[in-house]
Amino acid sequence: MFLELKNLKKHFGEGDSRVDVLNGIELEMEKGEFCVLLGPSGSGKSTLLNIVGGIDRASEGSIVIAGEQTQGMNEKQLTMYRRKHLGYVFQMYNLIPNLTVQENIEVGAYLSEHPLPVEEIMTTLGLYDQRKKLPNQLSGGQQQRCAIGRAIVKNPDILLCDEPTGALDYNTSKEILKLIETVNQKYGNTVLMVTHNDAIRLMADRVLRLRDGRIRDNIKNTEKKRAEELEW
Amino acid sequence: MKRKNPLRRRIFREIMGDKGKYLVIFILMIATISFISGYLVADGSMIKAYKDSFKKYKVEDGHFVTEEALTKVAKRHIEKEGVRLYNLSYVEKEATLGATVRMYSMRTTVNLACLMEGAYPAKQGEIAIDRMFADNNQLSVGDYLTFGAEKYKITGLVALPDYSALFENSNDTMFDAMKFGVAVVNRDEFLALSKEKRTNCYSWQWLEASKNEKEEKTRCDALMKVVNGQVELTDYVPRIMNQAINFTGEDLGNDRAMMIVLFYIIMIILAFVFALTTSNTIEKEAGVIGTLKASGFTARELISHYLVAPTFVTLISAVIGNILGYTVLKGVCVDMYYGSYSLPTYVTVWNLEAFVLTTIVPILMMLCIHLFLLSRKMRLSPLLFLRRDLSRKKKKRAANLSPAIPFFSRFRLRVLLQNRFHYVVLFLGIMISYLLLMFGMMLPSILDHYQNKIQENMFCKYQYLLKMPPSLNTDEFSMDTLFRYMKFAKGVQTKHKQAEKFSAYTLQTYEPNVMAEDILIYGLEPKSKYVPLDLSKDDVVITRAYAQKFSLKTGDRIRLKEKYEDTRYSFRITGILPYDTGLYVFMSRSHLNKVFDLGDDMFGGYFSNEKLTDLDEDYVGSIIDLDALTKVCRQLKLSMGELMYLVDVFAMLIFVVMIYILSKTIIEKNAQSISMAKILGYSGKEIARLYLMPTSFVVIGSMILSLPICDRGIRYIWQEMMKSKMKGWLPVYMDFSVYGKMLLLGIVAYGVVALLEMRKISKVPMDLALKNAE
Repeated sequence: MFLELKNLKKHFGEGDSRVDVLNGIELEMEKGEFCVLLGPSGSGKSTLLNIVGGIDRASEGSIVIAGEQTQGMNEKQLTMYRRKHLGYVFQMYNLIPNLTVQENIEVGAYLSEHPLPVEEIMTTLGLYDQRKKLPNQLSGGQQQRCAIGRAIVKNPDILLCDEPTGALDYNTSKEILKLIETVNQKYGNTVLMVTHNDAIRLMADRVLRLRDGRIRDNIKNTEKKRAEELEW
Repeated sequence: MKRKNPLRRRIFREIMGDKGKYLVIFILMIATISFISGYLVADGSMIKAYKDSFKKYKVEDGHFVTEEALTKVAKRHIEKEGVRLYNLSYVEKEATLGATVRMYSMRTTVNLACLMEGAYPAKQGEIAIDRMFADNNQLSVGDYLTFGAEKYKITGLVALPDYSALFENSNDTMFDAMKFGVAVVNRDEFLALSKEKRTNCYSWQWLEASKNEKEEKTRCDALMKVVNGQVELTDYVPRIMNQAINFTGEDLGNDRAMMIVLFYIIMIILAFVFALTTSNTIEKEAGVIGTLKASGFTARELISHYLVAPTFVTLISAVIGNILGYTVLKGVCVDMYYGSYSLPTYVTVWNLEAFVLTTIVPILMMLCIHLFLLSRKMRLSPLLFLRRDLSRKKKKRAANLSPAIPFFSRFRLRVLLQNRFHYVVLFLGIMISYLLLMFGMMLPSILDHYQNKIQENMFCKYQYLLKMPPSLNTDEFSMDTLFRYMKFAKGVQTKHKQAEKFSAYTLQTYEPNVMAEDILIYGLEPKSKYVPLDLSKDDVVITRAYAQKFSLKTGDRIRLKEKYEDTRYSFRITGILPYDTGLYVFMSRSHLNKVFDLGDDMFGGYFSNEKLTDLDEDYVGSIIDLDALTKVCRQLKLSMGELMYLVDVFAMLIFVVMIYILSKTIIEKNAQSISMAKILGYSGKEIARLYLMPTSFVVIGSMILSLPICDRGIRYIWQEMMKSKMKGWLPVYMDFSVYGKMLLLGIVAYGVVALLEMRKISKVPMDLALKNAE
């Protein structure tokens, strides 16, 4: 198994003010799998994503990625773990405002020992013609494409996407989903995507529904749709 | 091959993208570094030039003045004592511009002149005058110096190493380079001049140098006795006692420690301001940093990245500052030295200490302060960055502000509280710049006050300090000596009824950490008409200036010693005379004569409100009148005028930069809220009221609060400076108008900054709030 989560728990606060966010998550994912995490606000989706991404720590349980146990890692080891295995895409693009599109993608490439060719990524993402522009000269969709480029250029084992289409309109969202799909197929990265958009489940290999910190549904999607076929 | 970090490409763009902020920090750093570098280089070079001048210009080991010219036999006899004698006679003339000019023949053997400009006088009717005297009297090469009907063409400007401080007499309290100057003429001219009234002056140089000052003093005393045996001495000045030679050396480099401390303070403040702006950038870029950290950027990589801009700016400032320091500012500082002293030409000396202080130290300061800030910030988890939650403290509840407070006031209070750290730095910055400004503005007011106080405090219009000719300082009793005694005793008597005798004796202080100081002890007649003291037998009264300088009170003991000797004295203070402009001790004349074994009838001078015309001029060491007492003010104004102006400009620069950067930072920090307020429909004026008014309150409040703090601070600093760095006592005084001027300057400077900030507020785009909303 490429990703294994065992009895993952997370709580905030203590005593009366204790809030349990994750209550014993169990999950196994294959390499190259596209998994969508659905659930209402406060269900623990982002917290789970952050723990898998090594930017938050679980209170209990274990995570194993490609054979590496992340629980018990110190900050430095976690940073190296993120550097080696993970790519992040957020709802906010968080691009560096005074670097061009190409340079923003190179920021990701710098972190990897074997990055993908930057030019190829830009072509795949349809950003080649925009490569010399600064983020403030791009549309929201283009900025998000650039953010995806920054995440995938280092060819991560897992691409973590936290509401990547949350700030985008319908058409742009579809474009972004198509890109993630392409990336997943072309480079074989495992994708874990948090979304509120129920329609996106149709393009995933696996759909997880969370509520009150528990996985209510863990469905393998046998009738997967392509991103461009999605409607919402 | 390892890919280079692409983040480095944004450094230059980051700097260019915030030109205003970086430019002002850059300018202030360059100004500070160049001034200090220039000062240290000038200081080092001038000290070297001064020290080297002793050998280079063959400076005498002392000189003496005789009634009659030395005979060859007498000269040979004296030279047997291991000295070589040189005739350095001179003629004094009153110049039409109201100054005394001491003229020498061109020097070829000892105390050689250093030609600063022009040429040496080649023929009669030509003269080369002291460079500083020329500057102070607006004379230059080609001008004419007139002495009544006689006219001399100035061919050159010179510096004489035995007059680096233009003391007319070594006994004078201060020199006056406006009313006294030295000059050289060619041999023929000098011979012609000598026909009038020539002073027979002889310089000596030891064939073998003394091991230390004590030995030098002993040798000088012994030599004086030998000279006395050969000729009638009227003056005898060993080099160790010659203020005209030593004063400059004692003063050079005195401000060094103060300058370095000032530099450190300014650099620390600048580093803090820079760190605040970096902190602001980090807050602004929290999302980006969070993403980078989440992607695997290490804290070290990010710290290094954010360290580059401040280090780069400091490094470039240091390089440019040092270049300016070595070229332009060095000249300014050298001019200040040349404005104070008649120093010879100098060669710029590479100063390693200046390089370290102005290059390595600022970079280290910047690195340390930034490293502290960045390592604290970058230790935060990526999640906190992504949530823009960079406060290390646990969230506190918002301060409870009463709803009774009007909305706008509450809003402003919240802005104040939210930016409290910025405002604390702003307050400190204003205080430092006010301290500097007050220092610059206070100096003229101190000098004016001192001048007024001198007038108020004068015991009498004229004090005549008598001078016993060195020829009487002999153990041999001969008819000749007796005759000289009788002549002296007659020459120092006056028939003026206003004249009141006093005894005088000079000792030296030896308190730890305080500069050794000559103290004049007066022995007063019972019920003196001039000094309001009625002293009984054992009374010892000191002036208030003395008490303040040495932190003394009635009942304490003053400890004094003979200069160059080990004999020490201790007196219990029985009273303090409210006299603020001089360090004196008073006791009864009989007491003084007894303590110093001077003989019952001995006296050292006269107090008088009228000129004593019947005293023999040869026995008058110095006349202390208003003109003599105010020499120090004139000299300080001349030498420090430029510095005062520089300090004022510099202080205002710091003031403006500090307010500009910090208020800009506050506005940038609140840009999103400002943008949102615009969307909500607030007018530019209302937004300015919300975001600029708190800064205005803090600036005005800081200015008002800084005044009393700086006042106390500057009084303390001044007193400490007077104690450790300067001789004499200039009482600290602040003219009330200084406060007004400082407030006015501060308000005008802030007004300009506020206008710039209002422009900045008006430029905050409305879509900023929407773009950055999560």
